[in-house]
Amino acid sequence: MNTSSIPGGNQAGGSRINWQALWKYRHFYLFVSPFFILFAIFGLYPLLFSLFLSFTKWDGITAIHWAGLYNFRLMLHDELLWRSLWNTLVIGVLYIPPMLILAFLFAQILNSQWLKLKSLYRAAFFLPAVTPMVVIAVVFSLIFSSERGVLNYVLLMLNHVLPFFHFKPIHWLDSEQWSKVSVAILVVWRWTGYNMVLMLAGLQAIPIDYYEAAQLDGANAWQSMRHVTWPLLQPVFRFCLLLSLLGTLYMFDEVFVLTNGGPGTSSTNFGLYLFNLSFTDFKFGYASCVAYSVAIVVFGLSLGINRLNRRNSEGA
Amino acid sequence: MNKAQKPNVMALRLATYIMLTLLAVVFVFPFYWLFTASFKTQAQIFVTPPHWIPSHLMWSNYTDLFQQTNILRAFFNSVVTSAGSVLLSLFLCSLGGFAFAKYPLAPGNNRMFAFVLGTMLIPGAVTLIPTFEILVHIHWINTYWALIVPGAVGAFGIFWMRQYMGANLPDDLLAAARIDGCSEFGIYWRIAVPIAQPALAALGIMNLIGSWNNLMWAFIVLRTPSMYTLPLVIYLMQGEMSTPWGMLMAGGVFTVLPLVIAFLLFQKQFVAGITAGAVKQ
Repeated sequence: MNTSSIPGGNQAGGSRINWQALWKYRHFYLFVSPFFILFAIFGLYPLLFSLFLSFTKWDGITAIHWAGLYNFRLMLHDELLWRSLWNTLVIGVLYIPPMLILAFLFAQILNSQWLKLKSLYRAAFFLPAVTPMVVIAVVFSLIFSSERGVLNYVLLMLNHVLPFFHFKPIHWLDSEQWSKVSVAILVVWRWTGYNMVLMLAGLQAIPIDYYEAAQLDGANAWQSMRHVTWPLLQPVFRFCLLLSLLGTLYMFDEVFVLTNGGPGTSSTNFGLYLFNLSFTDFKFGYASCVAYSVAIVVFGLSLGINRLNRRNSEGA
Repeated sequence: MNKAQKPNVMALRLATYIMLTLLAVVFVFPFYWLFTASFKTQAQIFVTPPHWIPSHLMWSNYTDLFQQTNILRAFFNSVVTSAGSVLLSLFLCSLGGFAFAKYPLAPGNNRMFAFVLGTMLIPGAVTLIPTFEILVHIHWINTYWALIVPGAVGAFGIFWMRQYMGANLPDDLLAAARIDGCSEFGIYWRIAVPIAQPALAALGIMNLIGSWNNLMWAFIVLRTPSMYTLPLVIYLMQGEMSTPWGMLMAGGVFTVLPLVIAFLLFQKQFVAGITAGAVKQ
């Protein structure tokens, strides 16, 4: 790397490959080459190899057997796969609305000028997003403990304040009805701050003039939120939604540590299912087939959502 | 601002403060519970009614942690793999981002960059098994390399650095350096890198959170206890039959603390880093 300057001005015209230009910009190719080399090894090759594996039976050790479309047929009758996708959906429905609403509220409040101690509040809500999931899940399994957990204790205490509800201790982690709720609570706790920060960035991008104009027109706080903030925050909101949907599908640590998909398979989401298929059962062929199929469906769906997103934001 | 505020505005604000503080307490509580449980005995952890404030600080969980587990080794492994991935990824992403931003006339620049962006659509779940197989074949299973190299250059990192350098690195400055006889790599290293420090900090923090917290990949590629990282040690401390809860909590504090301290010191950069991570659409 001892070339001191790039000679300028002697561009040789021509429509064929311009070797002179390639040589002139050799540093460009050199500098971007690590990405392409690593991508070829750890991206492109795996992508093609796993496509190939989708049509095979393989445990990772013995010989690879061609299986044709067997794996795809197997998927249709794989109850656990459909169960895990269903669980993914339920967990998503349980946590995404409260999380996004809470994140929006926090962002809205933290964005107001009169609030003091902003960075303190922001830190409190945001801290969960930077902490190792495994530790947090372990703490939550303590908190959720049905016999001696803090959460059930607080719930029973509430009976003194709100006697009409008759709260009973809830089997958070060891009952099929509640295991998904527990995962959802953990996820809300973990990801609300993250979404809050994204929405805060979105709010701060809204020009203050808009609010002043709304105020001049006699809009009250609610009206300016409804007619200024809400429409302008739509893209951020949809983006958070998309991230959360994908996150739920491929979520792993949360479920793996807190419930390990149980009791039974009641909280097994797709991410955990795929992991178990790959690294517990070592069904590499079938797992590749499932991963590929779901990824393609998801890709199609997000393309659809994105298009909707763009059409709507153009209309606004 | 209106000086004579109506009393109901004040009441509303007070209510907001109370609600916000209450929720903040709820959000911080698990950290508090982790921290205090690390100073309790097994019996105290599960006592009803709960001991909200530990009666005295009992350090035996920590001494047990250091004597009975290889936690310092795990800490070292976590530091090496995290530092390795952060530094390697910062170097390669900024180099690539610099090239994409500052050689716009290089043939293929735009198309190659579009390709880089396109790779972001590939979900990790699809490439997991083949990547694992590659590591088996090149004998990288149970090595630091397995945690550092496969994810070293992310498309997002290149995108992020390209945007920043494109906006903040004046072409005149680069031209002047060339005239002074600075090599192309020298321009990157001595001019672009120092200017891009805020972007590097954000990207580095994002990578740090990812690699420090990584459980699944560590679980897959690490085999012997001497190579385990902190999250893996914490995960495996949970026993089938009995779990040493106090020690586990102490280990948790040990794992969480570095990031919490870093976060409190560099809150701004953390937020920037996290927000940056989400710009990838």
